[in-house]
Amino acid sequence: MDFANLASQLNAGAILPEGIVIITLLVVLIADLIVGRAADRWTPYVAIAGLLAAVGALYLGWNRLETVSFLGSFNSDNLSLVFRGIIALATVVTILMSIRYVEQTGSDLGEYLTILLSATLGAMFLSGSEELVMIFISLETLSIASYLMTGYMKRDLRSNEAALKYLLIGAASSAIFLYGSSLLYGLSGGSTSLAGIAAGIANSSQSLGVLISLVFVIAGISFKISAVPFHQWTPDVYEGAPTPVVAFLSVASKAAGFALAVRFMTIAFPSVSDQWQFIFTALAILSMILGNVVAIAQTSMKRMLAYSSIGQAGFVMIGFVIGTESGYASMLFYLLIYLFMNLGAFTCIILFSLRTGTDQISDYAGLYQKDPLLTLALSICLLSLGGIPPLAGFFGKLYLFWAGWQAGAYGLVILGLLTSVVSIYYYIRVVKMMVVKEPQEMSETIKNYPALSWKPFGMRPLQVGLILTLITTSLAGILSNPLFNLVNASVADVPLFEAAVPIRPAAPVSLQVPATPLSAVVPQSAPQAQTLNVNLRS
Amino acid sequence: MLSLLIWMPVLGAVLLTVWPSKLSAVRLRQIAFIIMAVVLGWTAVVGYAFTSSDASLQLREELPWLEGLGLSYRLSVDGLSFPLLVLNSLLTWLALHATEAKIQRPRLYYALILLLNAAVSGAFVAENLLLFFLFYELELIPLYLLISIWGGPRRGYAATKFLIYTAVSGVLLLGAFLGITWLGGMASFDYQPLLTQTIPVVQQCWLLGALLIGFGIKIPLVPFHTWLPDAHVEAGTPVSMLLAGVLLKLGTYGLIRYGMVLLPQGWETLAPWLATWAVITTLYGALMAIAQTDMKRMVAFSSIAHMGYILLACAAATPLSLLGAIFQMVSHGLISALLFALVGVVYQKTGTRNIEVLRGLLNPERGLPIIGSMMVLGVMASAGIPGMVGFISEFLVFRGSFPIFPLQTLLSIIGTGLTAVYFLLLVNRVFFGRLSPQVTDLPPVTWGDRFPGLILTGLIVLFGLQPAWMLNWSQATTTVLAAPLIRQPLITQATPVISPSSPL
Repeated sequence: MDFANLASQLNAGAILPEGIVIITLLVVLIADLIVGRAADRWTPYVAIAGLLAAVGALYLGWNRLETVSFLGSFNSDNLSLVFRGIIALATVVTILMSIRYVEQTGSDLGEYLTILLSATLGAMFLSGSEELVMIFISLETLSIASYLMTGYMKRDLRSNEAALKYLLIGAASSAIFLYGSSLLYGLSGGSTSLAGIAAGIANSSQSLGVLISLVFVIAGISFKISAVPFHQWTPDVYEGAPTPVVAFLSVASKAAGFALAVRFMTIAFPSVSDQWQFIFTALAILSMILGNVVAIAQTSMKRMLAYSSIGQAGFVMIGFVIGTESGYASMLFYLLIYLFMNLGAFTCIILFSLRTGTDQISDYAGLYQKDPLLTLALSICLLSLGGIPPLAGFFGKLYLFWAGWQAGAYGLVILGLLTSVVSIYYYIRVVKMMVVKEPQEMSETIKNYPALSWKPFGMRPLQVGLILTLITTSLAGILSNPLFNLVNASVADVPLFEAAVPIRPAAPVSLQVPATPLSAVVPQSAPQAQTLNVNLRS
Repeated sequence: MLSLLIWMPVLGAVLLTVWPSKLSAVRLRQIAFIIMAVVLGWTAVVGYAFTSSDASLQLREELPWLEGLGLSYRLSVDGLSFPLLVLNSLLTWLALHATEAKIQRPRLYYALILLLNAAVSGAFVAENLLLFFLFYELELIPLYLLISIWGGPRRGYAATKFLIYTAVSGVLLLGAFLGITWLGGMASFDYQPLLTQTIPVVQQCWLLGALLIGFGIKIPLVPFHTWLPDAHVEAGTPVSMLLAGVLLKLGTYGLIRYGMVLLPQGWETLAPWLATWAVITTLYGALMAIAQTDMKRMVAFSSIAHMGYILLACAAATPLSLLGAIFQMVSHGLISALLFALVGVVYQKTGTRNIEVLRGLLNPERGLPIIGSMMVLGVMASAGIPGMVGFISEFLVFRGSFPIFPLQTLLSIIGTGLTAVYFLLLVNRVFFGRLSPQVTDLPPVTWGDRFPGLILTGLIVLFGLQPAWMLNWSQATTTVLAAPLIRQPLITQATPVISPSSPL
């Protein structure tokens, strides 16, 4: 193989964004080693600049002609570009909110940034991997970095506990995932690429083996997106871990999990698409119900957001299980919007806990009098998570439900609608706590609320993050056409769905209705989600 | 043109919130007055441009928004929505007058009132199902906050109850709208193309069921009404005025526009049940009102009873009964706003709303004579005494519905009788007789307190004597609205039928 041929096979330009992240990571690491603590003043901005440059590189890679790189182990198609963009942007916002937090807890910022960037790198690679070894390495890069970050507050017992829990459960789920992968490797006759596996298992007679490996792989992925019943670690880890890390886990890590789910299921398992759609439907139903119902009972803000993020993952899964093009698009759209509103909420919580040192919901009582900006930002982000118009979350949910309804998943959509009513209840409880309480009902914490100051080191970035997420959450919904086109374009050009979507003869152009009896409105029985994979393009 | 009705209050609200310098409550109130006066004036301009003889949707505006979702920014107005639009602007303006000058947290309060006004206007002029839903949900949070911040002692409970009921209603509506569009084979949620849909009757009934419960919560219909008395009792006077006067109309408006017109066959199938449901609501509301001792709770239950007439008229769906329904919406808006405003003044001056404590407030020396007189007049209007709007609207409703549902109409007329019973009880106890010793030394009533009441009283009498001035707005529209439902299917639809837009 001559060099030119090899270079074209490697197609290394496809991972230019990741290359930039690696260089940034090295710069931060070396600067921290050489300059020491003094470097903390500027390394965060280097990291942010690097990530933004990576986003720029992603933008340049849009509609790349040759997407497959490294001999088929990485695919830089438009879908992966959007996922990687979500992850990089989430990291940017996470860094904005971390600086002050890490500084105030007296930990080392350089190390923290290095681990965070490693996690980002793993997540970005995971979004485009199409080969088992590549997937597992990326997954472990993400996971191990996440465990480290969770236990980053070395002297905090809660943080240690969270890290240990996360590590044990995470390692177990990695093992299960790996076991599923090894089964696939054997069943497909020795192929590690997802497409090769699909071809291999299509002809194999070992349907039970395929199903077992499918279940194991889904278990591993569900751990990452914390879908019920693989969610047990979430509340404890969210409560104990440093808040910026939680923010990262709830957005970037989840997005990577969804990217993996989409790629793995659609490429490797088209032959058992009914089965995986069934499993994910069950996961979505459980996540929506459990996440949203249990969130009502929480008294700690971080725990509440943990359960809310489980519920939100359930909503996102609606877009995934219906398996239509608009379903995937709506899922991406929701993740994009979820990035800003959830990170916005976390920024507010961090700001509050930096100023008061607590995250009990009851301590927020009467906040509006002391800190109107924080009250406004947190209210907007929470209401957006609850899906109140005209905020971004409303449009995100609308799109998900619209796509779900169009695909005939009536039961899922109705359940989603009902659980989002539940979610409005617990989100607005916090808003009520902040806005409605009279001066005499103010909590002790708020009475001793420190004077507002953006002067200390790291507060400015926090402020920037707050304003950025606030503006995006308020306006991204109303002006969502560009985002809308972006996600539609990202799924439209991807060939991988051809395999996943069973080609059905019907449905000439889009919305022609299959004569579904309206009795289908009765709660979801699982097969309905699968029946209507209307191919919108045919 | 219609956009301004939505955007002026929104901009006003933003302006009030972010205005940098410190403003006193009184100054903020003046600014809010001016903004609403401009909006009210603009409503008049819209009225000037509005052609009442034209039955179609007019003054249309459209902008593409999220085409992929089928959501477009389309506004228009017709004889059904225009009176409600006027009512909304007018009552918001009067509600600002009924607000205490030294209210707590004035910035947020006035901003929320303005937002509420914008959301309701938007819902009335939206010509896209999703856009309607968006505005319908938009009104949720401002009203929740208005009740839970400026309400009575149990405001938290009442506000949360309101929130949950309304959120459930929103979910049902969204489900039904998705169903209508999807089963109707449309790519977009635009209103006009949906008029031509051909959904089978059984499915129409299911969709209509979801719409009925969704809007039934809002109207409210028994047994989905329990949030309303609580919300009214706990909410402040201006919020009660808006809630009863305008927000409940969103339910009946939606039922006519999206239930009756879009699903005519289903509507026809369910109409007898609806009429019976209307009777139950009316009688239940009226009987409950008799048992109340809190004046505000009594007016709230009377509200429920009066909304029952509207449902009866919609179920009958003759041109005359629909005209009655629209007129009843407006007249109920005026009358209930008047009653709530007056009860508010009584409560403000005496410190109680308990019927068993208050006596003889009509006392010309030390009582509240002018307030009392207006109360008597409002009560007469509500009971349907000739010469006031209540009579005209109820007469139209009953006259229009009788040929279709004679039994239900007769039963509803009993409800009118019961209205007289409970309101006479109220007037007799509270305003007649000797002034009770607990409520001597009442603070003086200023003309500012009386102003909203006087305006509303004037309108009630004016339109009671000259109903044609208002009926003209809607006559053409109701004829068309009822056309698909008239039991002679050959009457052609007069609305311009637009062919379905090209699919996604």
